[in-house]
Amino acid sequence: MRYIFNFPDIGEGLEEGTIVEWYVTKGQKINSGDSLLKMDTDKVVTDIPSPKSGTIAAIYGKVGETVRVGTALVEIEIEGVSGAEAVKEAQKDSSVEVIEEKGAAVVGTIEVAGSRARLPASDEGMSEKINEIDKPIKKILATPVARALAKEMRIDINKVTGTGPAGRVMKEDIYAYLQNSLNIIKTAKINIADERVEIKPLTQIRKSIARNVSLSKHNAAHMTVFDEVEISDLIREREKYKEKFIAKGVKLSYLPFIIKATTLALKTHKILNAQLDIDNNQIIYKNYYNIGIAVDTDEGLIVPVIRDADDLTIFELAQKINEMSEKARKRELNLEELKDGTFTITNYGSIGGQFSVPIINFPQVGILGVGRIMKKPIVKNDAIVIGNILPLSISVDHRIVDGAETTRFVNQIMDYLTDPVSFIMD
Amino acid sequence: MFDEYNPLDEKIFQVIDNDGKIVNNKWFPEIDNERLLKAYRDMLLARTADLMIVSYQRQGRIYTYPPSYGQEAIQVATAMVMRDEDWLVPAFRELAAYLGKGVTLKEVFLYYMGFEDGSRFLNAKNILPISIPVASQLLHATGIGYEIKYNKKDQVVFAFVGDGGTSEGDFHEALNFGGVWKVPVVFIVQNNQYSISTPVSKQTASKNIAIKSVAYGIKGIKVDGNDIFALFQAIKTASEYARSESEPVLIEALTYRKGSHTTSDDPTLYRTEDEEKEWDMKDPLKRLKAYLLNNNLWTEEQDQQILQQFKQEVDRQFVEAENYPLYKLEDVFEYIYVEMPDDLKRQQNEHENFLKWKEARK
Repeated sequence: MRYIFNFPDIGEGLEEGTIVEWYVTKGQKINSGDSLLKMDTDKVVTDIPSPKSGTIAAIYGKVGETVRVGTALVEIEIEGVSGAEAVKEAQKDSSVEVIEEKGAAVVGTIEVAGSRARLPASDEGMSEKINEIDKPIKKILATPVARALAKEMRIDINKVTGTGPAGRVMKEDIYAYLQNSLNIIKTAKINIADERVEIKPLTQIRKSIARNVSLSKHNAAHMTVFDEVEISDLIREREKYKEKFIAKGVKLSYLPFIIKATTLALKTHKILNAQLDIDNNQIIYKNYYNIGIAVDTDEGLIVPVIRDADDLTIFELAQKINEMSEKARKRELNLEELKDGTFTITNYGSIGGQFSVPIINFPQVGILGVGRIMKKPIVKNDAIVIGNILPLSISVDHRIVDGAETTRFVNQIMDYLTDPVSFIMD
Repeated sequence: MFDEYNPLDEKIFQVIDNDGKIVNNKWFPEIDNERLLKAYRDMLLARTADLMIVSYQRQGRIYTYPPSYGQEAIQVATAMVMRDEDWLVPAFRELAAYLGKGVTLKEVFLYYMGFEDGSRFLNAKNILPISIPVASQLLHATGIGYEIKYNKKDQVVFAFVGDGGTSEGDFHEALNFGGVWKVPVVFIVQNNQYSISTPVSKQTASKNIAIKSVAYGIKGIKVDGNDIFALFQAIKTASEYARSESEPVLIEALTYRKGSHTTSDDPTLYRTEDEEKEWDMKDPLKRLKAYLLNNNLWTEEQDQQILQQFKQEVDRQFVEAENYPLYKLEDVFEYIYVEMPDDLKRQQNEHENFLKWKEARK
């Protein structure tokens, strides 16, 4: 009978250990209690003895390698017990669950230490790997967060490999699964041997951008409204405070004003700060205003989130934007600073361009695109004058946000931007 | 004896030296050879089991365990004095005392495998389960002692604690109450030099631990905790005193924890090899064995033979414990109440529905 000895948790919640030294080699005979290897863990440096007598059939891991708790250290061929006899042996123990291997004749058993399940498998060939054994079908263990996330992303959680305790599916596993599944998305065949093409692997950022925009385009019903707003007064106000802000070490762009206007407008038009829960036929309204700002970095787009943006002053917003953009470019943002956004603003105008059809940052339902301010002839008091025009493009998820509501929302934002004093009036 | 070895004088009560030679004829106890040999075998069995449990733990076959390695003499001496009707109130590092009271190795294994049945003690009476909250057991001991006194029973309580436990408030409460109400409890401090990694020098500013008895107005003595003869004499005297006078006694037994605090601890991080070697010279088993060999009561062959027997016995009982049937999940609902409360009924119902759902999926 083949016995697989997995690295046990020898220190109350240990996750891994590093192999310091091997005392045995393949083919060596050992007695139970003999030391197999020395292991360095968070808690202790200790010898790990063998629970069985027999012959070492396989050794996993080299000196210096880090091994996770629960993964195989050695396989031991236990003498005198093999084939059908071993199956009987395994079944004798009532506390042990015997799981049939799908579609294969049972010709031997593999006993796995640490778990109370034994997986019958072939004992042919001493080099066979354990992971070739089919996993039993059971209700998958998962954290509630992971389950909710899988549901939201329409992933069959049973297909996700869990890395948590006892194979529990964790939130991270869902993300990892998504990333992998992205690789499966079919693309046109390109001849890799062609000298005129260059192959580069996707970066993590690019993978998640690809995943997120696909998710949004496939799920949300995009609809976009364009408009222009004259902001000469705002420009004057900004010029007035620009120097003062710089004295305090903060660069003042138009974005703080736009964020401020947006949060004020969101409070009136709450549907744009909501989320659709289609599985439960309900809309989730959020009474907090976390505004994502799209930041262009060398590696691609990153969207840090300004939490409770409605509570911040123009100065504080300017400060936050400076800080977040800096962190985004240096890749120093942590997960907290990237999650829980309720609405997003993409300010491509700082580079150029007027109008766009921005893709919603799903599962949010609205995104505001801000173009470049340009001098344009406008009609004021029946005379043509030079105006400072800021182009706005707003995409919404039409499943829950209609055109009329979107237009009213944009109108309110424009009113604020036209008359900067109104910020403090509302 | 208590006057001769007053803890205020910082004297340590010792009967044999490191080589097993008698250095204190006056207090050499009367123990017949058979009993002495049994004491040695009990110490050896405890040590063998102890070392094997640590090995099992490293194999992932049992959970966290606190080894008694090096402290066997104190516990076996207590077991020699302790009668069936006397109470044993352990901390958690008293394997040999447990075995002496009639607890089986299998029960000990079950406890550390997470089975409550490991604390049932089918063959041992008047014994409390292991107490994980440090020093809390001393209050239980004093309480039992008070009951003994109240009902005028002829019993003694043997209560264990470590040097670290003496810093707990419970230690003070138990000894103070015991002193005031005069209860028949022998408090035994296994001073093994470390409470996890804190050395005893950082544990108390007192000259020694036994001296604390003075403040509580009770008898106290500091004993060589690796000297089975001294321990037997001291514990026997204390036990008789506690019974006849109905008064507590505090015994500080100076020893060394040769193993780790628990299997999750690495003692090499806070103590030196030199220190370990120094204490190896004072090993309690080595000293008693030397005495037995010197007096032609024991041979190396016998030693090897019995060691093999013990190893097989430990392994046999361990495998028995490993094959112990798992508890049914239903016990979670049914164990506590005679009549199940509504919320438990609802949870049980949910559980049954879950099982049906699981069955349907197959």
